[in-house]
Amino acid sequence: MSTRTGAAQRPNGSTQGKICQFKLVLLGESAVGKSSLVLRFVKGQFHEYQESTIGAAFLTQTVCLDDTTVKFEIWDTAGQERYHSLAPMYYRGAQAAIVVYDITNQDTFGRAKTWVKELQRQASPTIVIALAGNKQDLANKRMVEYEEAQTYADENGLLFIETSAKTAMNVNDIFLAIVDELDENVEVPGPNSNKLSKFSLLNKTVGVLSKALFAKIVFPISINRKDSIISCDPSL
Amino acid sequence: MMAKSSYSKVDEYGFERPTNFNYELYDHFMSSYIRVLTRRAQRWNTLKYDIYKKPSTLKRFIRKGIPSDIRTAAWMHISGAEDIKNSSTFTYRTMKQKISNQSIIDIIEIDLPRTFPDNIYFSSHEHLPGMLFNVLATFAHQNKEVSYCQGLNYIVGLLLLATKDEESSFWLLKILVEKILPQYYIVTMTGLLTDLDVLDELVHKYEPLVHRHIHNIGMPWAMGTTKWFICLFSEVLPTETVFRIWDCLFYEGSKIIFRVALTLIRLHKDKILQTSELGELITCFREMKNHPSVINCHQFMNDIFKLSGNLSNSTIDKLRIKYGKKKL
Ligand SMILES: Nc1nc2c(ncn2[C@@H]2O[C@H](COP(=O)(O)OP(=O)(O)OP(=O)(O)O)[C@@H](O)[C@H]2O)c(=O)[nH]1
Ligand SMILES: [Mg+2]
Repeated sequence: MSTRTGAAQRPNGSTQGKICQFKLVLLGESAVGKSSLVLRFVKGQFHEYQESTIGAAFLTQTVCLDDTTVKFEIWDTAGQERYHSLAPMYYRGAQAAIVVYDITNQDTFGRAKTWVKELQRQASPTIVIALAGNKQDLANKRMVEYEEAQTYADENGLLFIETSAKTAMNVNDIFLAIVDELDENVEVPGPNSNKLSKFSLLNKTVGVLSKALFAKIVFPISINRKDSIISCDPSL
Repeated sequence: MMAKSSYSKVDEYGFERPTNFNYELYDHFMSSYIRVLTRRAQRWNTLKYDIYKKPSTLKRFIRKGIPSDIRTAAWMHISGAEDIKNSSTFTYRTMKQKISNQSIIDIIEIDLPRTFPDNIYFSSHEHLPGMLFNVLATFAHQNKEVSYCQGLNYIVGLLLLATKDEESSFWLLKILVEKILPQYYIVTMTGLLTDLDVLDELVHKYEPLVHRHIHNIGMPWAMGTTKWFICLFSEVLPTETVFRIWDCLFYEGSKIIFRVALTLIRLHKDKILQTSELGELITCFREMKNHPSVINCHQFMNDIFKLSGNLSNSTIDKLRIKYGKKKL
């Protein structure tokens, strides 16, 4: 598939690079915005009325970070409690999870904590967990305080960031912060490749990083919107 | 009505056609399907209510498709929904007046604008979302074990598009959830989990190569087929195909789901075997709606009944007992 070469192509002409692929799962109560976050990240779109997910949806996105091509395989699960028994097949073997709650709804934060506990018990011990407080654009109706979530995230070793699928705020950032975190263990060769990890891993809570810093980080990354829903490259 | 809509960007039930929709293929199919529809309408018309007196003729007629203008009455009659309506102590209207539980109301309301947002009747028709709410909330209040399960919104959405009638949609939903489908929507979803295992055994029997390939790649059936069972192919197959399936489902019962599932898998056998990893396999399952034989619903319904071997309700029931889930 041409996207891969396209994505790996850097302005300086070097097409050589590492390709990594990882499996990421989104969990959280119904209607907190899991599908919307994925749609924003994968297609750059937002739907005011996003269909409720039944079972789970599978999407992919490929991004290029310096000389590394990262392919996300994303499982977007159904939020309603009774679909819970189907969830393990999606987080089993996942390298990363985004647990989403809605900042305007305290119950969804409680549910997010339950998911975190379950992941800590049942998922891979090395799984990277990010907590996303979504619908940040509705901060005037906020019911979950930023500090409360941050403290919880710190205590549990989670990445934490508030997002808005609607305005796109911090959406790419949360996915990239996860890459960073995952990348920690892997030495990335190349001239300026370690820059990302240095920044965002100074503090596990990426939310504390200033916008300007993130702008710098995000800027050199080409997010490939053409490679939208499901384009699987078997050669990867 | 249908001839005109085959040139429209919206199908005859108000759904936007996909951007890659193959109009040529569809036009080709419709030109012959129109004749089928006309003939079926004539045949049902000549027999009128006598049809319900001859079970074997009735079954054949239903498999060939119930004309859309008499679907509501026919579904009510053949499914037994009519009977439970007539023998019920409460009328739909009295049950509707009991809607009161705020937490049920809230979760259903969240899903109203999230049900078929791309369908012109749901996005612009002021009554349909209200009717959808009434049916789902009334049902949730009178069935405590199920209450509201996501997925039912799509079923009721399609019932409303087919019947345009709130009360019939309620009784049809009730018969589906409480009689035709075994325990799919209860809190533990045990019926769904059981039927996924039943499907596994049936695929093993009918398409052993596919079975092995899917196991090698490591796709649990729930990943590819949860929507098949929970939404009864709504959002999975083209609407006309779904209604043709439901014609048979209402009369013959849940075994029909397995015939459809096995036929879909058989039609895509080569494609499935060509996949080499999970993502590709999931894509293959998701794109089944675009297969020409699936769009040609008349041919497709013919195909599902060509599967040999015993796929009777009692066979399925035995398998359900074999794989019955203990309480989780
Ligand atoms: N204002 C605002 N609304 C949002 C945001 N993200 C999602 N929504 C809305 O919230 C509703 C639910 O979003 P979904 O993405 O479908 O939620 P989900 O978590 O996938 O829900 P399930 O599939 O039912 O589990 C939709 O109507 C979205 O438009 C956001 O950041 N801001
Ligand atoms: Mg969703």
